[in-house]
Amino acid sequence: MENTPTNMFEWIWLIATQYSQLFIEGTIITLIISFAGTITGFIVGFIVGIVEDSKITPSDPLPQKILTRCFKIIFKIYIEVFRDTPMIVQAMIVYFGIRQIGIQIDPISAGILVTMLNTGAYMAETVRGGIKSIDIGQREGALAMGMSPIGAMIHIVLPQAFKNIIPEMANMFLTNLKMTSVLNVIGVKELFLQAKTAGGTYYKYFESYLVIAAIYFVLCFLFNRIFLLIEKKMAGKKDYVLAVEYMENNE
Amino acid sequence: MKTNEKGSKPKNEKASKPEEIIRVEELSKSFGEHQVLRKIDFSVKKGDVICILGSSGSGKSTLLRCINQLETQTYGKIYFEGKELGKTQKEINRYRSRVGMVFQSFNLFNNMTVLKNCMAGTRKVLHLSKEEAHDRAIAHLKSVGMAPFINAYPAQLSGGQKQRVAIARGLCMNPDVLLFDEPTSALDPEMVGEVLNVMKSLAKTGLTMLIVTHEMGFAHDVSSRVLFMDKGYIVEDAPPEKFFTNPDSGRVKEFLSRYIQKDKENGDE
Ligand SMILES: Nc1ncnc2c1ncn2[C@@H]1O[C@H](COP(=O)(O)OP(=O)(O)OP(=O)(O)O)[C@@H](O)[C@H]1O
Ligand SMILES: [Mg+2]
Repeated sequence: MENTPTNMFEWIWLIATQYSQLFIEGTIITLIISFAGTITGFIVGFIVGIVEDSKITPSDPLPQKILTRCFKIIFKIYIEVFRDTPMIVQAMIVYFGIRQIGIQIDPISAGILVTMLNTGAYMAETVRGGIKSIDIGQREGALAMGMSPIGAMIHIVLPQAFKNIIPEMANMFLTNLKMTSVLNVIGVKELFLQAKTAGGTYYKYFESYLVIAAIYFVLCFLFNRIFLLIEKKMAGKKDYVLAVEYMENNE
Repeated sequence: MKTNEKGSKPKNEKASKPEEIIRVEELSKSFGEHQVLRKIDFSVKKGDVICILGSSGSGKSTLLRCINQLETQTYGKIYFEGKELGKTQKEINRYRSRVGMVFQSFNLFNNMTVLKNCMAGTRKVLHLSKEEAHDRAIAHLKSVGMAPFINAYPAQLSGGQKQRVAIARGLCMNPDVLLFDEPTSALDPEMVGEVLNVMKSLAKTGLTMLIVTHEMGFAHDVSSRVLFMDKGYIVEDAPPEKFFTNPDSGRVKEFLSRYIQKDKENGDE
């Protein structure tokens, strides 16, 4: 080091440039875990939410009734457990628990798994609420024309529920992006851990964490704008084009 | 146009009698303790236009919903083309694809355009080709005067327009029977006419229809039979001429006199 930094800003610059590799790697890992964990978490949330919302009707065959009931109970416990414990503890338990039973899971996979389970537990309620918010007439309209209950769900109810819960999904993604920082406890080289490493050499933790604070901020800020844009797009056009070729001139 | 595609030979020699499509036997429905339908018996023949009248809460909607199997009866049987309805989901779906329903609240799919609404059933249930489904949708939308609006979403239409689309959507399935549950009750008065006109012309095509309605004039002019429901019973089942001039049931007489009185107050006609 030819010239030692003399003030905070020079230190920040030095750390940011000297360890840029670490920060870039950390950013990528943070994004990978957030995306993978959130997307898989949504899928889990949808499945759990749909099962939670499904009703057992007397005409169902017995095995189906038993299966549905079992799943409902399991999912209820799952949701409760994951909502009532901190993610940092979940991370430790999942990571070391899986290793204990002899599976050599790597920290990133464990991180994705924890994020997924956490997201799923929260999204299940959101999905259920989203489904409930869709007028029952939509489903009945589909059933009445001979669509199967599953078909009505997939083609009619879910697309509408999905639209309603997009804001919540965007929210969840941003939360996850920030929550990945707790995964440093299981050795995931995401942004937080990288900052710790980078700051450690010179004992300049404050400056190092300022660097990742800026990165987190920029990421969240950008994604927030992107989601708002998508929402706007999804809201649909206010106008429609009259199909003039089918107009009749007798009005 | 309609050829005998299934190649089924006419079973009955008495060709003068139209075939029975739906028969309901001792149909009963309770919600918990509350019995809404009480051993309903009646049958629907091909080409029948049956209007179902009755005061609020008498079970008219529940009857239609049982016929479409949106509600499962607690007792009694429904026969379709002489066969009792199957219990499996598959059988119910197949049956429903042939017995359409038009709702008071339209129930158009909000996530789809008018065109997609009319193609949903033919594509997802009947598995027609895209072209065929499209052509059918356009043809039926034309017949209800809604073809120019194929690109619109339900939220962009008036009530009367929505209901005409809903009828077109039902027709796209080429149903054997179409059920209507108060199709004009949610409409502004100036839009009632356009929907009733569509239904009148449908009746002329020979489509079998079961219509719950409060439109007396329509019931009088269009129906082949009028049913009157009261507290879960069918208390009158008569041709319109008899129903409106000389009903057997005291409840119907009372109902009609009240209606006529209201009509005079409103200064209609
Ligand atoms: N899902 C349900 N659960 C409980 N009770 C119900 C249900 N659906 C209908 N009912 C009851 O059944 C009775 C008949 O209802 P129904 O909707 O069939 O009447 P209706 O003749 O169609 O009346 P309206 O002219 O007001 O539409 C009512 O007392 C109603 O409260
Ligand atoms: Mg009703």
